[in-house]
Amino acid sequence: MKKKPRQGSIAFDIANNTLMALLAVVMLYPLAHVFAMSLSIPSAITEGRVTWFPIGFNTVGYGVIFQNNDLLRAYGNTIVYAAVGTMLTLVVTSLMAYPLSIRELPMRKTMTIFIAITMFFGGGLIPYYLVIRNLKLIDTFWVMIVPGCISAYNVFVYRAFFQGIPTELREAAFIDGANDLKIYYKIILPMSKPLLATFALFSIVGFWNTWYDALLFLNDIKRFPLQLVLRSIVVLNQMSAGFETGPAQTALLSGKVNPYNVQMAAIVITMAPILCIYPFVQTYFVKGMIVGVIKG
Amino acid sequence: MQTDLPSTLVRHVKPQISRSVAFWQSCVKHKWLLIMVIPGVIAFFLFSYLPMFGIYISFTDYQPGKALFSGKFVGLKWFTMFLNNAMSFRILRNTFLLGLYSLLWGFPAPILLALLLNEISNVKFKRLVQTVTYLPHFVSSVIVVGMMMEICSRDGAVNQIRHLFGFSDIIQFLADPKYFRTIFISMGIWQGLGWGTIIYLAALTNVNVELYEAAVIDGANRLQRCWHITIPEILPTVSILLILSVGSILYSDSQKILLLYNPQIYETADVIGTYTYREGIQNARYAYTSAVGLFLSILSFIMVFGSNMVSKHVTRNSLW
Repeated sequence: MKKKPRQGSIAFDIANNTLMALLAVVMLYPLAHVFAMSLSIPSAITEGRVTWFPIGFNTVGYGVIFQNNDLLRAYGNTIVYAAVGTMLTLVVTSLMAYPLSIRELPMRKTMTIFIAITMFFGGGLIPYYLVIRNLKLIDTFWVMIVPGCISAYNVFVYRAFFQGIPTELREAAFIDGANDLKIYYKIILPMSKPLLATFALFSIVGFWNTWYDALLFLNDIKRFPLQLVLRSIVVLNQMSAGFETGPAQTALLSGKVNPYNVQMAAIVITMAPILCIYPFVQTYFVKGMIVGVIKG
Repeated sequence: MQTDLPSTLVRHVKPQISRSVAFWQSCVKHKWLLIMVIPGVIAFFLFSYLPMFGIYISFTDYQPGKALFSGKFVGLKWFTMFLNNAMSFRILRNTFLLGLYSLLWGFPAPILLALLLNEISNVKFKRLVQTVTYLPHFVSSVIVVGMMMEICSRDGAVNQIRHLFGFSDIIQFLADPKYFRTIFISMGIWQGLGWGTIIYLAALTNVNVELYEAAVIDGANRLQRCWHITIPEILPTVSILLILSVGSILYSDSQKILLLYNPQIYETADVIGTYTYREGIQNARYAYTSAVGLFLSILSFIMVFGSNMVSKHVTRNSLW
């Protein structure tokens, strides 16, 4: 027997659902607008007529972007940073978290405190920068990868996960003559695939979106990650080297392309990979977030 | 009495192993475990502990290019220099106000959204709204700022909407200090609103359904159920997160400000983080800006401590 809903309740449902739908629209508008701008004809952009959908069809912006060597190189760089950096952070973090999950580890408490302290105290930007400089890491490949490879928070989440693996497995492997390193990569790592997958995703997105470390530590444009080049195109309004000359310049001068076409096309190709995988991996992110909050 | 004797004997007979020998034996036994932690320990030492020791330069006249600890001790010179600086009031005010307003608008928003999402009965629609609102979290700062600049530009969406409502003037929002805080905070809400609900929604899944059923039988309407069941359920989560957010008030997202601001709007946009970047990294005044950073950390620490104490007394929830 279901009670008949009250009128006020129905009115609330309608209002709430409308509000939520509106919210979704507001959230999506900037993204749709960027896409629409990237494909619209220059005159529609200058007159400010573009909102949700492209007006006309114009791919010159994308053509210009694909001729921009800085951006293409940065795209490649970011893929390499994300791949190598993610591998490194997974290996170093799990290597440290596994011993910490074992009770008999000598100095376990000391090490835990040693790690926990870094959650509450830090040197701040300038001392950090000077340390990186004194380690001669400025303008190297490794500066994008190594300094951020481990965080106390991640170590503790991994450790909590490893503690959930039955200790009998380790004891049985010992009797079979395996040492801890072998147990780590033959038993622990394969059993931690869900954890590693989640953290790999977070790490890849992190590398994809990072720009500040690169601004601080890199001067050589050949090593720039994607977001830093995107910054000079979109935020600083510099179309970077290669744009002032050649076909791109001709297109701009002839009015076939609006600078917004180019900027928005750059945003679209930067966001595309994340938007493509997002619907499929969204639940991983949410689970990772919840696990992290509860155990961390 | 008789049974006690053997056990005392055994205790005396057992060879006494000194503590350090036992420790070394355990180290040898677990040598692989100890080898495995080495990379992590080195990384923490280099990138977390060395910078902490590096704070020492805040108290010295460190010269760029020299060894990190070679400077002469100058006491609190840089701290007094910062506080006597004509700019320092503006910077501290901006840092504090931007953090405070972000908290006032940005903190309740996800709670409200989580409560409203919780009332949606259609599961598919709920999931759709969640998917869409989580999405901006994955958009990079550079892109968010780029979009914001376009929307706030001369012929961007905001000016067009104003035009529809009959305003004939065009406002250059990013060139006027008046609008910076609003722009920055709405940007933050757009990005963080949906993602921020996750933790509250997770807390809400723990609510016992029988509570709601009992409330319905008692004749409670939806508002009453929300007020008496749902809100008390998420209150501990809310207070913990509030303590954390109050502590981070002063750490406004200076990366995004750095992208968004320009000298025309330093009046409201310049915060400690951006000032440190300009003076420290660009002008190489390392010792001075290191002291400014330390000053910020100390203020922040006091704020977490204070808010934790208040919360302990008011809601009995605390971090420690």
